[in-house]
Amino acid sequence: MAAESQSPGSVKKVVVHLRATGDAPILKQAKFKIPGTDKFAKVIDFLRRQLHRETLFVYVNSAFSPNPDELVIDLYNNFGFDGKLVVNYACSMAWG
Amino acid sequence: MGTKEEAQGTLSSTDFGVAASAFILNWNTVCSSFPPWTWVLSHHQVEGYLSLENMLLSSTQEEHGELSCPGRGIHSHQEDPIDVDDATLVHTNPCKVHYYDLHIIYCNSYRVPVLYFRAYDSDGEPLEFDEIEKDLPAYSKKALSDSKWTFITQEEHPYLNRPWYKLHPCGTSEWMKLLFHADDALAKTGVAIELYLVTWLSVVGHVVGLRIPFEMMKQL
Repeated sequence: MAAESQSPGSVKKVVVHLRATGDAPILKQAKFKIPGTDKFAKVIDFLRRQLHRETLFVYVNSAFSPNPDELVIDLYNNFGFDGKLVVNYACSMAWG
Repeated sequence: MGTKEEAQGTLSSTDFGVAASAFILNWNTVCSSFPPWTWVLSHHQVEGYLSLENMLLSSTQEEHGELSCPGRGIHSHQEDPIDVDDATLVHTNPCKVHYYDLHIIYCNSYRVPVLYFRAYDSDGEPLEFDEIEKDLPAYSKKALSDSKWTFITQEEHPYLNRPWYKLHPCGTSEWMKLLFHADDALAKTGVAIELYLVTWLSVVGHVVGLRIPFEMMKQL
């Protein structure tokens, strides 16, 4: 409860729903609350650590791949629905 | 149109033309403050490619390695002599401003679009790859070091016959398949072709730090 208190300047948290695609392993916990001020790169790094994979393809709403420098809150405000941001991940990202 | 190709994450050359004109219209309407994408016809006027030239990439930017349009006053506010310290002295040299030309060219063998790019400084001097590498965003550098030279290679521009840098397309259909397969309903309506390039650029643009405005992606 205390963590949710809204002091001025407190950071809005965003619920991120991580959804596996294809043969990517499903995480035990698929929903996370993360500070909206975090960059999308943090979500990618988190997935890399969880899945022990260096190359991951991470995208939003099954539609596009956000720039890692985008803020999670901006993505949520533009592409979130049902109170969460849906982030898909797949274990293949071959550039060449 | 082209629903079978889409299921493979690929595109026919005709559909590339369709996708390109939709993309140009879309970008130039939604992103009127950005430099426009244009369609350049090949000399025999049959094929063509998408072109966005003179994108400014300045190492003086705080958000390092991000492309933005010229005339946004990127270094104008940093010329106050009071604020100058050693680090900014090095970086505010106007010669450090780098321009990027991006071309999107259809690749017949992989049946996907391919990003070609080149960079030059304010004197028009082409940049060597080690200089370009310094401009790239950190995540792009990391991908580059992971995959070495298979990721970005220098090759002859198919229409200009000069050496340009190229992003290798062999993984493209794989991730495009993921982005398109997810919504079969969309593929059936044939809307997807028009949106192929926005989706594609949302991935490929990362490499050179190009940010696609959200307005474009909201249509996906």
